[in-house]
Amino acid sequence: MTSDAVPGTREPFDPTDVTWTPVSSRLIGARLTVTGIVLGPVLVLLVLLAVLVGAAWLWVFPAAVVLLVGWILWLVPRQVRALAYAERADDLLVRRGIMFRSLVVVPYGRMQYVDVNAGPIARKFQIASVQLHTASSATSASIEGLPPHEAARLRDRMASRGEARLAGL
Amino acid sequence: MTSTPGTPASPPGPPLGPPGPPPSVPGRPSSAPDVDTTRDEDVTGWRRMHPVTPALKGWKVLVAVLAIGWFQAGENIEQAIDLLQGRGFLLIIGGFLLVGLIGFGYSAVAWRVTRFAVTDEAVHLRTGILFRQQRQARLDRLQAVDVVQPLLARLVGLAELKLEVAGGSGSAVSLAFLREAEAEALRAELLALSAGLQRPGVVAVQTPVDGTVPDVAGAPAVPVPFEVAPEREVYELPMGRLVSATLRSGTVPVLLLMIAGAITLAVVSRDISAAFVLVAPLFAGVTFVWSRINQGANFRAAISPDGIRLRHGLTEARAQTVPPGRVQAIRLRQGPLWRGPDWWRVEINVAGYGQGDQQQRDTVLHPVATRGEAMTALWLVLPDLGVQDPTALVVAALTGTDEQDGFTVAPRRSRWVDPVGWRRHGVRVTERALVTRSGRIWRSVDVVPHERTQSLGLEQGPIQRRLGLASFVLHSTPGPVAPRVNHLDAGVAAALLDEQAERARTARATATPEQWMRAVGAPTPTTNAEPTNAPPAAGAGA
Repeated sequence: MTSDAVPGTREPFDPTDVTWTPVSSRLIGARLTVTGIVLGPVLVLLVLLAVLVGAAWLWVFPAAVVLLVGWILWLVPRQVRALAYAERADDLLVRRGIMFRSLVVVPYGRMQYVDVNAGPIARKFQIASVQLHTASSATSASIEGLPPHEAARLRDRMASRGEARLAGL
Repeated sequence: MTSTPGTPASPPGPPLGPPGPPPSVPGRPSSAPDVDTTRDEDVTGWRRMHPVTPALKGWKVLVAVLAIGWFQAGENIEQAIDLLQGRGFLLIIGGFLLVGLIGFGYSAVAWRVTRFAVTDEAVHLRTGILFRQQRQARLDRLQAVDVVQPLLARLVGLAELKLEVAGGSGSAVSLAFLREAEAEALRAELLALSAGLQRPGVVAVQTPVDGTVPDVAGAPAVPVPFEVAPEREVYELPMGRLVSATLRSGTVPVLLLMIAGAITLAVVSRDISAAFVLVAPLFAGVTFVWSRINQGANFRAAISPDGIRLRHGLTEARAQTVPPGRVQAIRLRQGPLWRGPDWWRVEINVAGYGQGDQQQRDTVLHPVATRGEAMTALWLVLPDLGVQDPTALVVAALTGTDEQDGFTVAPRRSRWVDPVGWRRHGVRVTERALVTRSGRIWRSVDVVPHERTQSLGLEQGPIQRRLGLASFVLHSTPGPVAPRVNHLDAGVAAALLDEQAERARTARATATPEQWMRAVGAPTPTTNAEPTNAPPAAGAGA
């Protein structure tokens, strides 16, 4: 295969000297709950429609929704397992994605502020998300699915490290 | 009138000089109590805007109402014409007068409550009638200062002073309107204070060397004005070149095509109304050409100790000053029609500038540069590219392909994902900056100084993954420049990410401080007490 023939390929999203911390697997439950809340009523409506009208072809739509749900059930755990972060001495790495992968390196000295968010569903599952903001709006470094104490620890750590390495814009 | 702001509240720390910049703590809101030691009541020297301001601003309300009226009338012209006959005409005139009066009255009240004051650390602005707003802009966070003169203000010799502090949209502080000379003097003052210089009046008092805080109450109430920094003109854009370059930009051929299309449509269908479909895009095209010419007219750039000065504008005159080290990134662009005369459009990222249509207007370092001028523009931002032969590097970046002059390019297998540009896009790392180039037909070169790197990223899609490729992305502040190198070898991209993170870190450690005059040992008698560019001590925020 092509990927074997490629010279000098080392896994770019898995640097050797980095130990990744995965996010909590409770994020899977949270994301699936959101999916259920959005798609559940749709499915019920479509099934009702198909039953009431009685036309056989109308069952195509609920079937499509069920397929979609199946796909999400397969995808979300993989997605969540792919989401990881690593604290290095001077920067934070955030890795995400399976098919479209991305890796972001945020230096502590560049951090402008840190957001910790937890919506009602996330709170139910006891997770929170931490988002780092630099002066660049392109920096998309958010870590979902952290246990609240870990989120708080990370936030304080970011703040103190950012302060020590503070630089202007 | 007598007390100098900051003196009563400031701790007996460093004896002379303004207190060092308090650490802005990431992770905490910027409105933390340590933002400024000066309490608002301590600020003296509140000033008002020029009394003509309400007339100039009230006028805008009238224009807005007229415009709305015009669009409303435009929808049913016949009715409007009916209205204009007879007594309706008087009614409309009366209505406009009333609206004008209300607008003027509102502006007058707004003017009465608007005040500003300049202290050594910040600019304070109070506005608002119903909802009062007090805004402080820290001078050591100043990103750019613009003196703007809309047509009407220009006629009466007034100007607006705009301060950009990188605080997201709507964070600019606008002082409108001031007398032209006053605006320029204020600009000089703000830039000097922001650079870390001291008020000339205060310096004269500070003779004792025993470290006692001098009684600054003796300082003159009206401080000795700062001298306007001398400047040297670097380049100027001839009107002829601007017009012909605008006509050669991508929009105009499209515009001509559309006109031709409209005519053929009208001829073929024998119905003139068919052509009206194209009125809206045509209007947009003409507006674009006009705004390009209007904004680029009389474009001049100069360099002075307090930064890059840009002056431009036909109807609305703008004089921008971007202090040293405030340019975050720079981009040179060339469309296919500019290739013959070898013209380049030079744009910059400045924190605070990058919002909406402002971006089109304020972030231009040179609208139409020849190659020599483009290099000059680059030199204005980055005097030292960090290579032996900068010219060869720039030429290779502007027009080169393949691994010429040390560029790292995408491997041959990337032609499957980018058949046209794969030989062109590449990256070169120098000691001072990261240079990326891309685009075979629409050429583009981005340069980011290492110390201005915000964050870095690596991206990979499914096809790239099969080919063993990855894209390298550099995040800069919002603006026209968004550097990225597509389809590098995955291993190379990962190594680049690692090395660049390291380089950015070391560059930041030695970067110019926010108060740039402190780096060059400017004639401030007090700065020798502390090392110039040490970041604020970490313990200060404990």
